[in-house]
Amino acid sequence: MATPAFTFTPSTFQKLHPAEFFRRFTTEGVRPDGRLLDAFRPTTVHHGVISTANGSAMVRIGGTTVVCGVKAEVAEPKLDAPDQGYLVPNVELSPMCSSKFRPGPPSEQAQAVSEAINRVLKESKVLDLKDLCIEEGKAVWVLYVDAVCVAYDGNIFDAALAAIMAALNNVRIRKPTYQEGTIKVSGGSTATDENSFTLKLARTPLSATFAIFDTTLTILADPNVTEETISDGQISIALDETGQLCGVTKIGAASCSQSAMKDCVQSAKKRTQQLRNIMNQQ
Amino acid sequence: MAADRKRVAGPESSVAPLVEYPIDYQSWTPFTEKRHDSHRQPEDLRPIYLKTGLISEANGSAYIELEKTKLTCGVYGPRPVKRAGQGFSDKGTLNCEIKFATFSCVKRRGTMRDAQEKELSQILSQGLTPAVRLELFPKSNVDIYITVLESDGWGSCIAAAFTVASVALAHAGIEMLDLVAGCSASYIPTSIPSSSTSESTSASSEGTGAGSITPQIFMDADLEEEKFQQGSIVLAYMPSLNQTTHVLQTGKAEGAIISQSVEHCVEACNKIFAVMNHALLESIDQK
Repeated sequence: MATPAFTFTPSTFQKLHPAEFFRRFTTEGVRPDGRLLDAFRPTTVHHGVISTANGSAMVRIGGTTVVCGVKAEVAEPKLDAPDQGYLVPNVELSPMCSSKFRPGPPSEQAQAVSEAINRVLKESKVLDLKDLCIEEGKAVWVLYVDAVCVAYDGNIFDAALAAIMAALNNVRIRKPTYQEGTIKVSGGSTATDENSFTLKLARTPLSATFAIFDTTLTILADPNVTEETISDGQISIALDETGQLCGVTKIGAASCSQSAMKDCVQSAKKRTQQLRNIMNQQ
Repeated sequence: MAADRKRVAGPESSVAPLVEYPIDYQSWTPFTEKRHDSHRQPEDLRPIYLKTGLISEANGSAYIELEKTKLTCGVYGPRPVKRAGQGFSDKGTLNCEIKFATFSCVKRRGTMRDAQEKELSQILSQGLTPAVRLELFPKSNVDIYITVLESDGWGSCIAAAFTVASVALAHAGIEMLDLVAGCSASYIPTSIPSSSTSESTSASSEGTGAGSITPQIFMDADLEEEKFQQGSIVLAYMPSLNQTTHVLQTGKAEGAIISQSVEHCVEACNKIFAVMNHALLESIDQK
């Protein structure tokens, strides 16, 4: 007698065996959302979206939306760096963007992403902090760069880094005058090149993230939230406009071969070039 | 500001620079008989852009833009209450949390929720709870999270929060008695107080409680206009049921002015209701 066959609707199968459901797609070379394994989701970049900020940008990669705003304030410099300003990037993952995040202090993931982006910006010397000096030893600019995730669908690192770089490019700060311990800027008339300055960025690192699956030895570009949850690890590769590596961040417990890593770097080069074109167009 | 060990740290304290306006700079005043945005009349609201479905992970979401005021809202629920040990409740609960992004106001805001945001969250809960059918989801909770990306006027922010939260709740499919539309109005004096003004000024200035000049009602005032306001009112209103769920009045105004402004707000809420319906119908077409 034939054994009875178990059949499920696709959505039930996805809930019961997510990894197996996924494998059925990847063996055919596609993903459940129809993308090829190395395809990135459609990306848009908008500059200058928040008028109360010194610089701002909004980046959308598929369903992940990040809005970044830069506010410039004045502070005393550190004693051991009297002519250097501060660059303070932070990524906010609020409970609004996904049910994965609980209200309260930043989650581990938010802290990890903020720290990773901070490392990329500091170690690849994106901004010369001496440019932010107003009066040596007395007053310097602090740039608070806050990236708020409005909607979360995986790959927060790429979206946040792109939003931060686009916002830094968009920054315009009024020229300050130092007078007996107070910093004054001119108000009123529109900001022009005479009364304000923009930031000189030495390089613009942008990144590409890949999800690694140990058991099937597959690498997926730009994972969405379901793929992120079932993946074994992720690797993010940041490159600047000359194709030089600015940072490699690997999270999770997955291992991947050297040739796979090289393929990732090649793919990242193409993707960051595409991202740069999108950023410069708008 | 307490040291926040969980974020990338900046300097211990920082200040915004002092803004010095040139001597010949003419900033807007209400005494010019025109609004800050010269295309608007005192009874005109700012054009509203309302869209649903921007947050795929949320059960319901909406985004509202009133020119320079931008808010996003995500609704999650009904979901089970975490602490079941609090006893059985035959009605669900509504939890609202509003957060201003650090870059949303002219002066940078802190990253932790301050007292103002906590108060606003309470106001929102109070204004939305009467409209939601809480008895349909016992032992459950609906979470409403609002992020203000840019703020141009305190009253308009609160009013927009009511509007966007209602649309997001409807988008999430949570049963409600009616949508809640929010609207704000400010009382702004438009004539310069001087001795050459009519006798009524000097007579009423001796009285208590009455303003020396009859202020004009400006609907949906923006930040520049709010600097001159004597008082303001924010109304949360259910248009189909013709019931008010929340009134927030600050400052001073005569009783007649307040009644008049409530009427104006109700009219404005009816117009906003049409925009909310349109946005929700569009979202059904999209699905």
